[in-house]
Amino acid sequence: MFTPGSKYFLGLTGLSLVSAVLYTIFVNPSDIGAVALFGLLLAGALVAGFSLFTRDGDAETEAEAVEAAAYAPTPSFWPIVFALGAAVVLLGVATHPIVFVLGIAVLVGGGVEWTIQDWAERASADAEFNDLVRHRAIGALDYPGLAAVGLGVIAYFFSRIMLAASKDGASVIFIVVATAIMVFAFLVATKPTLRGKSVALVVTAGALLLAVAGVATAISGERSELVEYAEADHYSKTHRECGEEEGKYYDHEANNTVSLRSAVLATVFVEDGKIRAQMIGLEKDVDTITVPRSNATNILFRNLDEEDHRLVVNLGKAVNDETGKEEELGTCTQLAGKNQEQVLTLNIKKPSSEEQGYSFTVPGAEGEIKVVVP
Amino acid sequence: MSHIDPVLTKEKAIDTVTPVKSSRRRIVTALAGVSATVFLTGCATNAPQDTFVPKGPNAKIIDDLNMIVFPIAGVVGVIVLALATYIFMKFRDKGQAIPAQSHGKPYVEITLTIVPALILTVVGVFTFRGIFDLAETKDTELIINVTGQQWWWEYDYPVQADQGISQPIISSGQLVIPVGTKVLLRETSRDVIHSYWIPALNGKKDAVPGRIHLLRLEADEPGIYAGQCTEFCGLSHANMRMEAVALSKEDFAKWVAGQQKAYTAPAAGTLAAEGETTFINQCSRCHQVNGIKDANGKPIISAPDENVYSGAAPNLSHLMSRNTFAGAMFDLVNEECRADVWNAKSEEFGAKYLAGVSEDCLNEKDLRAWLRNAPAMKPMYADPSNLEKSNGLYRGMPNLGLTEDDIDKLVAYLLTLK
Repeated sequence: MFTPGSKYFLGLTGLSLVSAVLYTIFVNPSDIGAVALFGLLLAGALVAGFSLFTRDGDAETEAEAVEAAAYAPTPSFWPIVFALGAAVVLLGVATHPIVFVLGIAVLVGGGVEWTIQDWAERASADAEFNDLVRHRAIGALDYPGLAAVGLGVIAYFFSRIMLAASKDGASVIFIVVATAIMVFAFLVATKPTLRGKSVALVVTAGALLLAVAGVATAISGERSELVEYAEADHYSKTHRECGEEEGKYYDHEANNTVSLRSAVLATVFVEDGKIRAQMIGLEKDVDTITVPRSNATNILFRNLDEEDHRLVVNLGKAVNDETGKEEELGTCTQLAGKNQEQVLTLNIKKPSSEEQGYSFTVPGAEGEIKVVVP
Repeated sequence: MSHIDPVLTKEKAIDTVTPVKSSRRRIVTALAGVSATVFLTGCATNAPQDTFVPKGPNAKIIDDLNMIVFPIAGVVGVIVLALATYIFMKFRDKGQAIPAQSHGKPYVEITLTIVPALILTVVGVFTFRGIFDLAETKDTELIINVTGQQWWWEYDYPVQADQGISQPIISSGQLVIPVGTKVLLRETSRDVIHSYWIPALNGKKDAVPGRIHLLRLEADEPGIYAGQCTEFCGLSHANMRMEAVALSKEDFAKWVAGQQKAYTAPAAGTLAAEGETTFINQCSRCHQVNGIKDANGKPIISAPDENVYSGAAPNLSHLMSRNTFAGAMFDLVNEECRADVWNAKSEEFGAKYLAGVSEDCLNEKDLRAWLRNAPAMKPMYADPSNLEKSNGLYRGMPNLGLTEDDIDKLVAYLLTLK
């Protein structure tokens, strides 16, 4: 029989095994993290072994055990779960790694539960005692395991709903659901008469509603602009739209609140369709900004116009080593609406020259600000 | 009755008592010596970083505050020390019985709360006024970007038409400013935190990577004002010096014109021309000289970001218009010429400084030693076999293994960079 101490360490060992396998597959097999997780696995297994061998140092525990008298199997759904896991694993091999991992989780979970149940049923002829043995062996993991699965399902379904609803709709749903949960929890806490079947009914109804809505929105897919982002590779770090806006939604998702102030070298404004700039410490307009070479430098862009604008820095041209073609160098901010701000962080390695001049421009606005890198 | 030898008794007395007296005397003498030394250092005349000799309005604000706070703090300190000493001596444990214990005296406690509060209020009013005055930037007349890196300061002057700066000026070691002008330094750093401090012109201000900190300087009269990095920044922190050179407005205009002069290549066939080739082959990987071109007429652009951890090396354009090199650790001029500039009268200072470094004035010894083996002159992490922590990049100038011929040529070439 498993002792209480060994259960903890066996749980740790199991968790380490799963973490180490996932880390090795998805993160980096040669990383120090993988070594640490496998080390934790070995350490957990070692301590669990010691704990089992010494019966947690408690000789009386042994006496509680009842020798197996007869095999009294009871109905179990774990073989079905195990088979389902195996099927999902096979499905995952053919479809997607996430499905594969999900299948492994179901397979391992079902297998462990099945094994423990089978082992516990051999403890005695007393089914009640056997159930106690099973509970002692693995009961500590039942609720955390179920809770993890339950939370995962809730999070997944809820995320599908939020991603399918419009931006404003998602906000409303979030507020309504959060308020409803808070009110319900308040009623449960303050009205003891509500406890019982009515609470279970509401919870079940909520769970069903979530499941139905989650499945429906998972099938219907994410809202159109998110699909467009993904299709246009807008999530890529290298993605830039510095010319005319191509995406319908992309630039409007920018966070237009800039908190840094003491780390800004200069501020570029667009006002009345014209570009102008001020350097920190010199409170008058300048037509040239000097940017230190080889040093990260922040430029604040503030749009004072009605129309949306973006700041573009033009850093000359260079031949692309891979394509052999001459390409324009530079980068830009996302669009900023009226009275909104964006920051451009530059780290320019090469000095500017007459042949290779740098500049700030704002598409749709007049003028340019020269960028000088000494 | 035993016989007592008076001589022996005296010797015993000497053996047991004298060492205690002697050690006390030594401690007292040592303390007196240290105190006197500390006290006498205040009398030093050759102290270019003296914080009590302000040479500009910003430093004067700090000095004025010191003149208020120091006497108050001094009087309070003396009173507290005297009282503490008196109490320690009078009530020290002499084996007497413990006196009756009381729970304090309200009027004493109230007095000891109100008096310090009043003192701190007075000090606070002047301190806050000083802080706000020092932070004023609206009336700035000249801005200069100051970038710290291990272990030198880079100064770049953005284009400012009203100061005659039509193209950016980049320099290092010596910050040149016009007198009577409100100059605003915009400090940052390329590697670690440094701190900029010219005591005669203002207080300290940290230069922090990714941030821009403002420090205002203004000099009342022409001269050179010394300073030093005051934030520990690595191996050669103590050698990271700087000098602010204040010129009259007319002389500053001349200096600006000189800095904006186009590059002139040395005449063909001269030693300096050979030095230019050596410079291009050896030095231009990190050091930029604006306007220098290769044999095909293509501008040479240095790439310090590929060689140096900070991503920058001093721009050597117009090097000989400065009086220092290697992060202001060494003088470019010899001792005689240095003294001539530093001790020049106010009205003569500008002309002497603007004369730059002539062949006669060049501190050839240190310059040659630097070119021969820079890490031996200034501690730097520049050992090629020990650059793991900096991804193969140097933190200072490495030993380039130049021959004496190369050094001759380079010195001749560098002398042309005026």
